Order: sequence, then structure tokens, then C-alpha cells
Amino acid sequence: MSNADFPGELNRDELNPGDARPLRDALRALPALAPATSAWPQLAARLAEQRDGANVVAIGDRAVPARRRWFVPLALAAALVLAAVALQLRRPAPQSAQPVAAATVAPDRASSNANAANSTKGTNVQESARGQLAALQQRSQALERWLHETARSATPLPGQDLAAAAEIEDMIGLVDVQLNAAPRDAELPLWGRRVALLEDLTALRYSSYSVAESGTAARLMPANWTN
Amino acid sequence: MSEAFSHLELPAGIVERARAGDLAAFEHIYRLFERPAYTLAYRMLNDAEAAREVLHDAMLKVFQRIDQYRNDAPFWGWLRQITLNEALMRLRREHRFEPEPDADLLADTAAPPWVRADSLALERALGQLPALTRSVLWMYHVEGYSHPEIAELVGKTTSFSKSQVARGTARLRDLLSPATEHVSCRMQTSLAN
Repeated sequence: MSNADFPGELNRDELNPGDARPLRDALRALPALAPATSAWPQLAARLAEQRDGANVVAIGDRAVPARRRWFVPLALAAALVLAAVALQLRRPAPQSAQPVAAATVAPDRASSNANAANSTKGTNVQESARGQLAALQQRSQALERWLHETARSATPLPGQDLAAAAEIEDMIGLVDVQLNAAPRDAELPLWGRRVALLEDLTALRYSSYSVAESGTAARLMPANWTN
Repeated sequence: MSEAFSHLELPAGIVERARAGDLAAFEHIYRLFERPAYTLAYRMLNDAEAAREVLHDAMLKVFQRIDQYRNDAPFWGWLRQITLNEALMRLRREHRFEPEPDADLLADTAAPPWVRADSLALERALGQLPALTRSVLWMYHVEGYSHPEIAELVGKTTSFSKSQVARGTARLRDLLSPATEHVSCRMQTSLAN
């Protein structure tokens, strides 16, 4: 779509400067504002708490231990997932034998067989979803572990990347809140979103980390990370 | 990059002092950037208390990450980005991230009313815009973001950003025109008396 689609568009540099520039100038001429009461006393209290070793992240009225906010729920979830995956792996796989058995049944048993097939199909869909969920959770765990392990070695991020990292962390926090409230059948896309955000964060951190530890970055990079 | 407050710079050594946990250094940074950050938050949210909370949260994040800040990057650019993200997150959470319905975008060839409008009238008109439209208009005209940058920030298309600027401009024109005429009539009346 081009500017021509928006006849009212006032391009800063090209279109109708007699109109756009005065608006820009008028908006910029509006006075800078200050809060009615300074936010500094609250900030100072928070900073003093942290300096005294409380290591607390406080946003508004919320106060969450910095590391625990992400890692404890994730570690618990990951542990549960690993346990579930381990149990799953110990079971014999019935699906592979099923088609052979179906091929040998008599025609008059076709109906019940179809029901069984539907049931199997439903089960397969559920198992597939569970498998995807487990895979996403494992990936999430691997990425988070890598971020944790490399956090200390990475060089400081430039301002723009740091802001981007902060935004991604915020978004992950929001996904975590949504995950806590979501029904089980709505978890899959949220975990997908979480993994995508962690991958973005990993990409940002990796560029910084590889500068600091160029020889070992690849070794510590999440095995299944592709970018 | 922001143009309105791009001249703001941190005094030499202040970041190092902040990294060392010097509260006075943090306060100095806060005082220096309180107004720019609060103004940006207020212009986007049009809510004094919410803007104050965004200011608080953004400053806290910056202070918590001061160890990671590199001196070669413009500090206001960093703080502004975090403030912007905090405000956008808030708009999303409060479901104020919906664009306004289609408006008449026909170009008006009359002289733009903001040329004559006083700042109070412009502020009031700005406050009547939908949150997302106002935010995009502010980011574009005041903070100097390009349409592709705004599109990325708000998670929409470049065309969406352009349309919001157009709609916001048209709406401001509508909102300001009658008021300006009204004020103008009153002034003429009082002069006649």
C-alpha cells in the first residue's frame, strides 16, 4: 500500500509540508509534563532494598524475586515434562502394531474397527499435541539454561539491543502470566510463543556472547537452536 | 531516534557511580529524565496515574540493568524505548490497543487549525484521540520514529502506521476547528465590547 492510499497522510518529509510541519511543531511545542508527585521516593526505596541484598524485582505493586519469576516455575514445569516424557518412553509403542492387526480382522467387525480407528486417531492427535508441548517445553528449558549459563560471560548489550532484550523479557513475563491462567488445551500456542521469544532473546545474547567468548560460543549454544 | 530530548546527556561518571550503587547518582538520572519519560508515557496513555506508574517501572528497569548499559549508546534512546514498551504493554493489557473505526480521510485544504490553536486546546484534542492513534501520531511526529519502526513497535504493518497518522491528523483537525472558531468568535465579541 502506498501513500496514495491515504490522502490524509502527512508525510514528515514530503507531503504537504505546510500542514505536517506545523502539526509536528505544534506537538513538539507542547510543554513537557511532570507527575503530580515524584516517583523518586518509591524508586529510591526499591533501589535501597536491592542494594541491601533483597534482590527483588518490583513492578508497581508486584514484588517477585528476580530469578524465581522465570526459573522456578519453568524448572518445575520442565521437571514434570521430563518425568512425563520418561514414562512415555518406557511404554511399548502400540501404534506400530495396530495396522497389522486391523488388516487381519473379519469384514463384519469393520464398524467396531472403524470406531477403534477413530478412537486411535483421537488418541494420536492428543498424543501428538502432548508430544509437541513436551518438545516446546524442553526447547524452552534448553534455551533458558543457555541464557542463564552465558549471562555472566556476555558483553554488555548496546542500548538498542538492551531495550529489545528488556521488551522480550517483558513479553515472556506476560506469556508466563497467561500460561498460569490458561486451560491445558490452550497451552500449546503459548508455549510456542514463549519459545519464539526465548529464541529472539538468545539471538540477541548470542551476538553479544560470541564477541566475548568467540571460541566457546558454539559449544554452549543450545543444540537445537537454529537461526 | 528521539529528537525532542536528544540533547539530554548524562554527566561524565554518573553511570559508573550508579553502577557502584550510589543512590544520589540514580536520583540525578531520575531528575534529568523524569519529564521526558513522563511526558512520553502521558501522551500515549492520557492518564496521569498510569503515566506515573510507567515512569516508575521504566526507571526501575533501567536502574536494574545499568550494569549492562554501554556508555556509547544514547541514554535517552534506551530509556525512551523502555518507556515506550511499558506504555504499549499497558495499552495492550488494558485492551486500548484497538484502532478507531474508519474515518473520512479526505484531505482538507483549509489552513490547519493547530497553527492557530493554543497548547491547551491541542492537548485536549490530543487527549480525545484513541490511545493507539495518539501513540502512533506522537511517536511519528514528536519522537521521530519512521513508519516501519512504528509498525514493528506496535506489531502492525507500515500501512497501519500511516493510516493512524492520517486518521489522527484528520481527527485533530475536526476537533480543533470548531473550538478555534468558537474561541475566535469570543475574542472578537470581547474586543467589540
